[in-house]
Amino acid sequence: MVNDSTRRDDEMENSSYADALLADIERTASKDGRLFIFLGMCPGVGKTYAMLQAARQRVAEGVDVLAGVIETHGRSETAALLEGIRVLPRKQLEHRGFTLDEFDIDAVLAQKPRLVLVDELAHTNVPGSRHTKRYQDVLELIESGIDVYTTLNVQHIESQVDIVRQISGVAITETVPDSILDLAHEIQLIDLSVEKLLERMADGKVYLGERAELAVSNFFKEGNLTALRELARRTGAEQVDRDLEDIRRLKRVGSPWKTNARLMVGVGPSPYAESLIRWTRRAATRLNCPWLVVWVEGSRVLTSAEQDRLTRSLGLARKLGGEVISVTGENVSTALLQVARERNVTQIVVGKPDKHPFWRKSLADQLILGSGDIDVCVVRPLATPGKGAVASLREPVPASTIAEFSWVLVSVFTIASLCWALVGYTGYMFVALVFLLAVVLAALRFSRGPVLAMATLSAVCWNYLFIPPIFTFHIGRPEDWIMFGMFFIVALSMGSLTHRLRLREMAERRRARLTDALLRMTQSAALSAEPEKGLETALRVIDETLHARTALVVRCADRTLDSKTHPASSFAPSAKEWGVVAWTHTHKQTAGRDTDTLPDSFATWFPLQTATSVMGVLGVRLEGETRLDFTTRETIAAFALQLALVLEKEHFIQAIHQAEILTKSESLRRALLDNVSHELKTPIAIIQTALDGRDSAHTPASPDPELVETLKHIGASVIVRQEESDPYLSEIQTATDRLQRVVDGLLEMNRLESGALQPSLHWCDLHEIIATARDAVGSALESHSVSIHLPDDLPLVRLDPVLFAQCLANLLHNAAAHTPPGTPIEISARLDGSTLHLTVRDHGPGLPPGSEDRVFEKFFRAENAPTGGTGLGLAIVRGFVRAMDGEVVARNAPGGGAEFAISLPRVETFREPDVTP
Amino acid sequence: MTALLIDDEIQIRRLLRLALEGKGYTVREAENGVLGLQGVAYHKPNVVLLDLGLPDLDGVEVLRRLREFSDVPVLVLSVRNQESTKLAAFEAGADDYVTKPFSTAELLARLAAIQRRQGADENANLACGGLLLDPAHHSASLDGHALKLTPTEYALLAQLVRHAGKVVTIKQLLRAVWGPQSEDQSHYLRVYANHLRKKLEGSALSIKNEPGIGYRLELAGS
Repeated sequence: MVNDSTRRDDEMENSSYADALLADIERTASKDGRLFIFLGMCPGVGKTYAMLQAARQRVAEGVDVLAGVIETHGRSETAALLEGIRVLPRKQLEHRGFTLDEFDIDAVLAQKPRLVLVDELAHTNVPGSRHTKRYQDVLELIESGIDVYTTLNVQHIESQVDIVRQISGVAITETVPDSILDLAHEIQLIDLSVEKLLERMADGKVYLGERAELAVSNFFKEGNLTALRELARRTGAEQVDRDLEDIRRLKRVGSPWKTNARLMVGVGPSPYAESLIRWTRRAATRLNCPWLVVWVEGSRVLTSAEQDRLTRSLGLARKLGGEVISVTGENVSTALLQVARERNVTQIVVGKPDKHPFWRKSLADQLILGSGDIDVCVVRPLATPGKGAVASLREPVPASTIAEFSWVLVSVFTIASLCWALVGYTGYMFVALVFLLAVVLAALRFSRGPVLAMATLSAVCWNYLFIPPIFTFHIGRPEDWIMFGMFFIVALSMGSLTHRLRLREMAERRRARLTDALLRMTQSAALSAEPEKGLETALRVIDETLHARTALVVRCADRTLDSKTHPASSFAPSAKEWGVVAWTHTHKQTAGRDTDTLPDSFATWFPLQTATSVMGVLGVRLEGETRLDFTTRETIAAFALQLALVLEKEHFIQAIHQAEILTKSESLRRALLDNVSHELKTPIAIIQTALDGRDSAHTPASPDPELVETLKHIGASVIVRQEESDPYLSEIQTATDRLQRVVDGLLEMNRLESGALQPSLHWCDLHEIIATARDAVGSALESHSVSIHLPDDLPLVRLDPVLFAQCLANLLHNAAAHTPPGTPIEISARLDGSTLHLTVRDHGPGLPPGSEDRVFEKFFRAENAPTGGTGLGLAIVRGFVRAMDGEVVARNAPGGGAEFAISLPRVETFREPDVTP
Repeated sequence: MTALLIDDEIQIRRLLRLALEGKGYTVREAENGVLGLQGVAYHKPNVVLLDLGLPDLDGVEVLRRLREFSDVPVLVLSVRNQESTKLAAFEAGADDYVTKPFSTAELLARLAAIQRRQGADENANLACGGLLLDPAHHSASLDGHALKLTPTEYALLAQLVRHAGKVVTIKQLLRAVWGPQSEDQSHYLRVYANHLRKKLEGSALSIKNEPGIGYRLELAGS
């Protein structure tokens, strides 16, 4: 047991060690630019000044620095520092008749400086810019490999917003996510004592903006400033701490932290959610562990304000780096606990309940009861003020509810009158049942309020008009009291139960509708015989389901985006929208309306992403002013995924089709080549065999010398024909050899040019290959001495022995053919790193100057070259070497003669281990 | 001695018949794969010369069917010179492979080499040139002197001697010496082949490499 747990700890440590190592490698090796943040506690501490000084230093070092955006606030000292730095002109944007200045990110991306200065990271961009926030611009700059210097005040950090509000009472709206601090290569803390700062303020050296007075009264109090200073220093210190942790993990110093923690926070559409999310993020950062945000979707229909708030909260969670999970369930605590168990959560964060009905347990209590071995952390959240909160307190009563109330009144009145006529025959108990029936029926149609009102009204009516004594609220008999009480309770609970059932059914039906739409879409797109038509049906299904218009842009075969929309699209993007489309495609992120990127567009654009690639972009334009809420977004994401899979399937089918055609044409080509080589080589083989046969048939047939002697002796005149070498036969033999070489060369060339040549790698000994090549050249080398220079420790190399031996043989043949008999030929090889060099050098006349590269051309023949070559040998050498990813060059060697050098990069080697035989 | 010629080219058959009859062979001919297979069954030849490009069946297929009922040595004669084809032929059971156009002298030498092996007893002492292997004691001697071999070297040499004159594919050698799971460890084979080559230096035996295919133990002068 002990061993087991130690091992697990070790593994844990190993994995976190590996993560740190990876992070380190990524940080040093990635092509991303680096982010330097100059962090201050509040405006006026001199961040911009410090940034410019650092930038001047870099300019002095010769770095290409561009001042993207600098807010000097009219301070001459700061402006003076800008001298010598290139300043980017701001972009002019029209917005509601005003011309506004904004940072021009496209100009920076086009100029690609080494370093760009971007002041005030938390700035919100002018509407119409690419991103809503400036930090998103900065992220894009880093991604494209540009270093960025930027400034930031601590109160603008997302997770510190609550604390800052507690300290100063000021709600900060311009924030940057904490994750950007994790991205920073370096955070430099610009610190200034509070006295100094107040002094500078008194001197008017601090820019306070238009709301100067407000700012002074609320924000720049000594107490506040001290607290902010502490916050800034702590943030800076945390960063150093994290760097230290990375270093310690890298250096394998013992690990004092637990990494197996996992936090989870349940959120709903409440105004407290954002604060809970921030708290969890801070805790998770300190524990250095992952965190989940869970939203439990019940049957209750959310109001649009709640929808908004929920979308914002979940968006915030994503921005801060949390994993967002949405589950469905009636009971929030059960659903939360289930997720917690499934995902091995160690701590659940829940808000402290402020008020709840006494008969129901608060969520915190329920969680604590059911949590078992999971820790439950109850924190006091702060409500987020702002647009959403005020609106949500009083929703305007919808017209339909007023109509329902009228219906209730009318029906109770009608039932009462009818029963008044009948009560003489039936008795007043019957009336109660009629009322009950009416309440249940009403609950099937109306919403909760009117139904409860009807239950109450019926009870009162029954009491007043029917329970004796009538026309009084007084009830005479105790059993009537009991009846009345029971009626009241039954009516209320029936009404509310039926209503809840109906809501659940509605939710189910909505979900079923979505599932059904998804299914229909997949079926029509995936099973349709014509893919184009299938896609069109799929898009129409999305249109119907979401009451929206859609546009589809599909990826072309060459992995670029098509320049026009798919013909099935139901709206056409404007020229400006195309920019959003391209951005979505390259960044694989949702962009456009109701997102943080280019929110000015008319449509929201979703990347059609599969596990491996982006297959296209889907644009959705909701009708009217409908906002894109969380559920719709998830639905569209589901649609997008299905579309992506369908498109990917199409893509694969096409690829397979292509491959099949290739294989077919390849086998056809092969059959043709086999036939041609058969037809060409068979006659040569016949001639060759015939020549061989003639040679062997004639040698024994030459007259026996003894017989000749005897014949001469008896006086006969003998004429002996000299048949040792028939000149006609030897000419045929030479021509046949040449023809054979030409046919071999042409066939090899054909194999090369069809691109079908695939080297098959084997472990080879160069000695063996050289021996094979020499054998292949055969008699042509007889008049030359060949010397081989190989290092003694040359390891085995992995290459294609047949191709390589053929190359070497061709080079040797070439050397033998072009040099005078008797001159030596040298073969040498060496391994340089993983590159294998092999040279064949002769001592002949060398290459004609200027023909060093041309000798590798097909049918090239040097002016003084002897006849008999095929003109293909060297071309084949180059082809084979290139097929093996190598290169071959020819040159004249310093001491005379030609030299051919083959180099093969990235050759695997195997050095013989020390085996004692 | 009977040789069976399976080739669709009448000129090749005529010329080979002349050359073979000059060496004392009785020659039978077949002009396609099916007739060839029948010929093997009917004539029980001592050696078969097989062309790969036959009009009815692919030569490799003929070889595969032939090996189902006969152990006769087969020499493949083909215009196809790609190592993948050669490898396929060797794996189907060819004893040697000669590419057309060929030299008649070499063809006859190869024929003699593959026939010499015929009838060698598996368990008897293995002998080849001056080399004598004793399977019972795993010892070897060369020209009367004891040859020091490691067990692996012995196993490899035994394989080559058992198939002397014939190409043994890399796969066959690896499987026989190192076991079936080492089929991709050809670098060991290269290393040991080099060791053996050094130890056999100066004798009549040499280990020849067929690039991309395998090794052959050759007896000089044969």
